[in-house]
Amino acid sequence: MDRKKRATRKRWLAWSAVAATAVLSAAFGIASLDAFAEPTPSTAPKVAADPPEVSNPSPGPERATGVGDDPLTVQEVDKARAIALTPELVDSAKDVTGKKGPEYLSSEIVEGGKGRDAAFYFYDYNSDELVKQIVDVTGGKVTGSFRAKDMQLPASDREVAEALDLVLADPVGADVQKLYTEVTGQPWSGKDKLKVEAHVYNARPADTATSQCGQHRCLQLVARVTDGPFVDLNDIIIDLSGRTVVRVK
Amino acid sequence: MTRTMRVNNRYRYLAGAATAAILLSLSVAPATAQAAPEAPCNADSLVKETLPNGTTWQMCWRIHKLAGLVLDKVFVSSTRYPEPVQVLDSIALAQLNVPYDSGAVEYNDLTDFGFGGDDLQTLGGDDCKGGSARVGSDNAPEPQRRSVLCVSAEPSGLAYRLQSPEENKPPIAKQGHDLVLRTISKVGWYEYITEYRFADNGRITARLGATGDLSPGDFVTPDKGWPIGKGAQSYSTNHYHSAFWRVDFNIAGAGKEKVEQYDTKRAGSGSGSAIFKTAKTDIPKEGSFTKVNRRWWRVVSSTSKNKDQHLRSYELDTGANDAYEAHPETTPDVTFTQQHPCELFATGNADPQCTNRKTILDYTRDKETMTDPIMWVRVGFHHIPRDEDQSPMPVHWQGFDLTPRDFTEMGTLTPPERDGNNGGPGGQ
Repeated sequence: MDRKKRATRKRWLAWSAVAATAVLSAAFGIASLDAFAEPTPSTAPKVAADPPEVSNPSPGPERATGVGDDPLTVQEVDKARAIALTPELVDSAKDVTGKKGPEYLSSEIVEGGKGRDAAFYFYDYNSDELVKQIVDVTGGKVTGSFRAKDMQLPASDREVAEALDLVLADPVGADVQKLYTEVTGQPWSGKDKLKVEAHVYNARPADTATSQCGQHRCLQLVARVTDGPFVDLNDIIIDLSGRTVVRVK
Repeated sequence: MTRTMRVNNRYRYLAGAATAAILLSLSVAPATAQAAPEAPCNADSLVKETLPNGTTWQMCWRIHKLAGLVLDKVFVSSTRYPEPVQVLDSIALAQLNVPYDSGAVEYNDLTDFGFGGDDLQTLGGDDCKGGSARVGSDNAPEPQRRSVLCVSAEPSGLAYRLQSPEENKPPIAKQGHDLVLRTISKVGWYEYITEYRFADNGRITARLGATGDLSPGDFVTPDKGWPIGKGAQSYSTNHYHSAFWRVDFNIAGAGKEKVEQYDTKRAGSGSGSAIFKTAKTDIPKEGSFTKVNRRWWRVVSSTSKNKDQHLRSYELDTGANDAYEAHPETTPDVTFTQQHPCELFATGNADPQCTNRKTILDYTRDKETMTDPIMWVRVGFHHIPRDEDQSPMPVHWQGFDLTPRDFTEMGTLTPPERDGNNGGPGGQ
């Protein structure tokens, strides 16, 4: 409301200024004809519009729980993730390194749920299945359990790190080290010199060596020299399920 | 849906009570400010801002690990129409397909990489200059609270202008403003800006900006690229960005919208000019549709009307748009489907709870009758690189508008002196 009043007052003042200018122009009409044509903008009102503003609230303290479809809080994720990892799931599933327990990928609030329901997504490398556990966060129990083959979600940090290890342990790894030296002029000195992310890779119709990708969990790396340029590793596909590395070009 | 309906019912009840209170108070005291609707989210998730012309937009925001920024429960009100009315239940990106013309690589940046989590950028530098950087969860597997959402009010130019009927009076003119929400996600060398603009006239613009850098590794023959280095070498590969958005309307909280297509066709000649006739085609069942000249679609409430007794609606306006015909999913412009909670992405929808629903082709296969339509909008941009794209690449945009049609019986910014100008002379 204040801003509106301020704006109204400003407009009023601006138009008063126009009126005043008009009177002055009339009074000194002849003089201004003689004067070397001042461009009109100098006599036009300078309406300095208020810069539009939005509120800038301080973030509140970290909350224990959300309301409605609010994102899951850190506490909710911690609590519900432990519930989602049922003893049966931990016993039967394997993670990206082959150890007991599924690979944790992500969690989401279940939109429009009755309370605070969370969906936890895992990958079971034992069965090559995407696992979805629905947890009633408030009630502290698993309310739905689903798994399916041939379904992939984006990679976890652990999976990306594992993929890079597989590449470096493979004969292809020598090419990566060589490429690093070409790009930086420096000798290869270890994997911490590369910052790596990854796309999940699904097989295309023409694929042969990577035709399992999709049913298997495969990654394609996006790598850059730490604090430096990108290194093109697009032609390397890492099959995390089969623990193999394929050069596709 | 249960929650949605509950929240909306409560909201309508509160709004109705407030209206009644205002009506009652008219006879005894000046109208008091209307009670604000109960916020459907925590304060940190709520964006509620009033633009200089008096229009207020309210919504909840959150980050999805794959989709990035999600806006829920979007309400609008204005000085002329102070009762907040719901427009959207939610809006979010639903895929970003990036194939290179070389035939060598193709990415699905939402479902194979993700716009949220670690790849969501913390705002810094000029990212949110003049705006408010809001802190919220990045929704990484181990979530962090960071400054990730920029909220700002930006001038949108002249909203309207009309010569004053009275001599020596300034024109009736107003500068417009948009409430702008944006996040930035880094996917490899590209950086994508997810942006929603809520105008003071009720229009909603969804768009995706792409910046960062061109691919450092994709160079091809001249027929598939453009030379961006010295002389005729370094042909950077042409490529596509096909973006999808999922739009769930909930007009006035009443749900049950209908979908209509309008076409205007030449119908002979009149005495002074060509005759064109505009006709409606109802779209009661799921399906995909493509634009032809003068064709447009709207999502219209089946019950909620403005004071002129016209059903409230929002229409889809797409602009520049390159279809990618190499995939059946990226060929049509818009797909309408019945709302199902597990159908979140236009392609690559990976949900073990509904394994046979992976793309919009699956969603539409049974041609279900729609009682709660979801609108999937595809906007494609074929990017032929140019010298100026390096570096950083100037932001290129793709997106669409949702324009209110009969949401209010007059414009939200219409000044009081134009009150009588509703319909033909004499208000007919």
